[in-house]
Amino acid sequence: MDYIKPFINFTSKKLQLRIVFALFLVIFLIALATGTGMAQENAEAAKAAKDAVMAEPYKVVDYRNFFGLDGRLIVWIISELHLMFAAFVLAVPIFVVIIEIIGAKGNDIRFDNLAREFTKLLSAAFATTASLGGLLAFALYGLYPAFMRYMTDVFHPFMFIYALCFFGEVFCLYGYYYSWDLLSKTPKGKWIHISIGVMLNLFGTALMMLANSWATFMMAPGGINMETGTVTSLYHAFYNFLWMPVNIHRIIANVAFGGFVVGAYAAVKFMGSKTDEERAHYDWMGYIGNFIGLSALIPLPFAGYYLGREVYSASPVMGNIMMGGAFSWTFIIQAILIGMLFIGGNYYLWNGMSRIKGAERYTPYIKYINIVIFFCFAVWLTPHNLPLSGEERALIGEQYHPFSKFFGVMAAKNAVVNLLILSTFFSFLLYRRANKGETKPFSSHGSAARITLIITVGLTVMYLAWYALGLRGIDLDENIKQYVSPLITCLVLQIIAIVISLLLTFANKGKFAQIFLFVVTAVMAVIYFWYYGFVVMEKANLVLRYLSVTQVSIVISCLIVNTVIDVFLFKDAREVGGIQWGKIPHRSQYALLLLCVAIVTLMGLMGFIRSGLRMNWHIYGYMQDTSAGAFTPSIAYMGWTVSLIVILFLALVAFVFWLAGLADKKKKHA
Amino acid sequence: MRSFLNAVIFTVAVLGFFTYVCIYVTGLSGGGDGGGATGVSPEAGEKVFWGDGQCHTCHRIGTTGSATRGPDQESLASRAEERAKATGLSSGLEYMVESIVNPSSFVVEGYDNIMPKVYDPPIMLDREKILAVLSYLQTLGGEPNIDAVTKFKDRIPEASKTKVVPWVPPIEVDPKEGELIFFDDTRDVTCSKCHLLNGKGSKVGPDLTGIGAVQTPQYLIESVLKPSAVIVKGFETMYLITNDGMAYNGLLVSQDEKEVVLMVDEDGKMEELVFYPDEIAQMQKQDVSIMPGNFSEMLTTKEFYGIISFLLNQK
Repeated sequence: MDYIKPFINFTSKKLQLRIVFALFLVIFLIALATGTGMAQENAEAAKAAKDAVMAEPYKVVDYRNFFGLDGRLIVWIISELHLMFAAFVLAVPIFVVIIEIIGAKGNDIRFDNLAREFTKLLSAAFATTASLGGLLAFALYGLYPAFMRYMTDVFHPFMFIYALCFFGEVFCLYGYYYSWDLLSKTPKGKWIHISIGVMLNLFGTALMMLANSWATFMMAPGGINMETGTVTSLYHAFYNFLWMPVNIHRIIANVAFGGFVVGAYAAVKFMGSKTDEERAHYDWMGYIGNFIGLSALIPLPFAGYYLGREVYSASPVMGNIMMGGAFSWTFIIQAILIGMLFIGGNYYLWNGMSRIKGAERYTPYIKYINIVIFFCFAVWLTPHNLPLSGEERALIGEQYHPFSKFFGVMAAKNAVVNLLILSTFFSFLLYRRANKGETKPFSSHGSAARITLIITVGLTVMYLAWYALGLRGIDLDENIKQYVSPLITCLVLQIIAIVISLLLTFANKGKFAQIFLFVVTAVMAVIYFWYYGFVVMEKANLVLRYLSVTQVSIVISCLIVNTVIDVFLFKDAREVGGIQWGKIPHRSQYALLLLCVAIVTLMGLMGFIRSGLRMNWHIYGYMQDTSAGAFTPSIAYMGWTVSLIVILFLALVAFVFWLAGLADKKKKHA
Repeated sequence: MRSFLNAVIFTVAVLGFFTYVCIYVTGLSGGGDGGGATGVSPEAGEKVFWGDGQCHTCHRIGTTGSATRGPDQESLASRAEERAKATGLSSGLEYMVESIVNPSSFVVEGYDNIMPKVYDPPIMLDREKILAVLSYLQTLGGEPNIDAVTKFKDRIPEASKTKVVPWVPPIEVDPKEGELIFFDDTRDVTCSKCHLLNGKGSKVGPDLTGIGAVQTPQYLIESVLKPSAVIVKGFETMYLITNDGMAYNGLLVSQDEKEVVLMVDEDGKMEELVFYPDEIAQMQKQDVSIMPGNFSEMLTTKEFYGIISFLLNQK
């Protein structure tokens, strides 16, 4: 084969060293220039002080800017970058440990190697996260001293705990990474290694939850006297109203974030691969990344709904601002990004089927799933009130569009979100069975399978029954309570459907059981509740929140039971053909890239919304923001800023991963 | 390297699309810079209306904005003049001032009593900004008159945080006990017999859903102990004498050329009575509320503060 010498050889060790040295010089020169600026500023200040007739007493400042730049913008950028890196380093250990456990249990070295490769990225990103965290703390103390003084007064005991947890995380992370070979020699050692990974996760989650309490305290302060700011209960300041909803939402979102970032890393590596072996490895890695991301993405809307509901409960004014005021349009943009994630995820799965022999049996269904997903996306995008001109309004004769108004309200949006989730789940089930042929009877899997399924169904049914009983006992006026009865009926019907599915599975009719449960769920949670949502909105708006939870509960119960049935249904099933890793179309890798860019942008957007909801308050209702930046930026400005943050983050990630890869290259060359 | 460059180009294209959507949406939503508006002028008021004041979260102006919780403010100035005449106020401007200073004084029919006092936290508009909003509202179907607006300066309270001091009842009470008393049907007089709360109760008096978010403890205490001190608009008592000398005290349910409907307490039960114009000898609005004024005798101190605590939790 002819070898064409590239114009620039980027694999050259010399060139890489030159790049590192050039970067060092750039950073050094920037620091020097900044230092010179500071020195000049200090000199001017000293001169001004000399000129003063009388020495003035030390003046406490509330706000500063960053050498002429808007302090808020600087804090915004740094905090987002820190959050994105933190999301990555908190999420990756969660699935690294799971992958390692899968590898250890199945004695499959591929999983162990994959977990190790992820950890290599993790250790490289960890130092950057810590540096950005330090930079954020300095920026906050330097640019918002009065605010930080108060926050320190309230939370200083937890700041020490934070530092201790940080030490714990550092020791566990490096212990986990560097003891890999040492502890992999014996099974006992392997489980000690996994335990260190679990500890790493515990410290990481504790760190996140500690920092969350400070952010949610700013949104929904508790445990302080709202006039004087005196702390009346440190416990309530820490465990404030929004703390747990944000914790739950962030953990799930972080896993989706980590999965998609890893997927994008694999995609870039796949596209640059030179051998079939490399392509197969990175194709598999991308598949795992997408699987992790999608698995976390499916429950994310439910956690988001819970958080949104609690924001309303914490402050109706804040809730109004979020969904009906200044921030309502940002949720249209959020819908576009989430739509990108679902469409990208499904597109990747469908492309992935091309490398699986036997998948052609299912490809005719894909176009229908496509139609459903695009329909859901369109409904989700429809604003509650399309902006109409005076002429259009006169022509229509009312404020709302006669057709689109049915898609703009909560009832429609709840229905399509659930349909979107069911469709994506269905798409994933098709992918799973793409190369599977004849299945073995359920009875052949033994009593372990039966017990697992019974426990799963039992727990799911118990949850549904518990919620149905709760609805029955709700203290509402009779004329409103009558609208709750259909919800209870639907929950009971779902319980019956789940039990029937269980019996069908035991009777070796697992596929039929899955279809039956899908149909019952879709009819109730999507079709019926879409219609009934309108009825409730019209006649008993109060019931809408119970309807949403019922809808979600029914869908989740279907996902859980169908997953467990699927696992046993296709256990030891005959394979039609193997998966040809690496034989995936090139275009699919762009779907992985899209997923990564979309979720990073989404995190930037949601950070803007969560923080912006406080409007002109540092601590909502207690400490006002009196700086020049106490206004909500326009959506366009947010768009530019978030795009800049995403570019910076991805550039830093690429740089950090490149650094992490240098060691491997060295080993290969050695 | 080529694949990396392709990835970079793809990423920049996706971000370009995102930024374009943000710019497009900004054009649709009319979101401006939200920057510092100062002074008393319609321009400054407009910025406050769509910005710091958060008025747009509940009110739209014609086709601008999309909120439907509060009335559409299109042609507000001319409508305010009509309402001022109907309510005995001197001008439409005074009607608007009164609506901002004490939002529960005039609740437009078909809307809930949910408007917060914008000079209290968390909105906390200062006096100048409220005056600016008033001058802007004057332009909606009328002409601005800044001199007239500034004359109302002293009627508008200064933004104050002192009103959010957590209220503590003088004795230890449990809001849950207050809730039980509020809905206790076994008592002679029950709050829920006349007030609706979270969809439960009767709508003889004002709906108390979310009352804790818009009213102060002092207001609630006064409303229970002295119901006639402030009578919510639309719940005034009417005194009616028929031609045959029968006298009735009740709430005015509706009134038109054909009939007058009063809700009257008939032996402890609220009933609607219809009167035709030719049988009415005299009809007069009363300054006394239909709500019993002897709650201090019917409730123990613990029960009373329990109910107040319960109502303050309704946010």
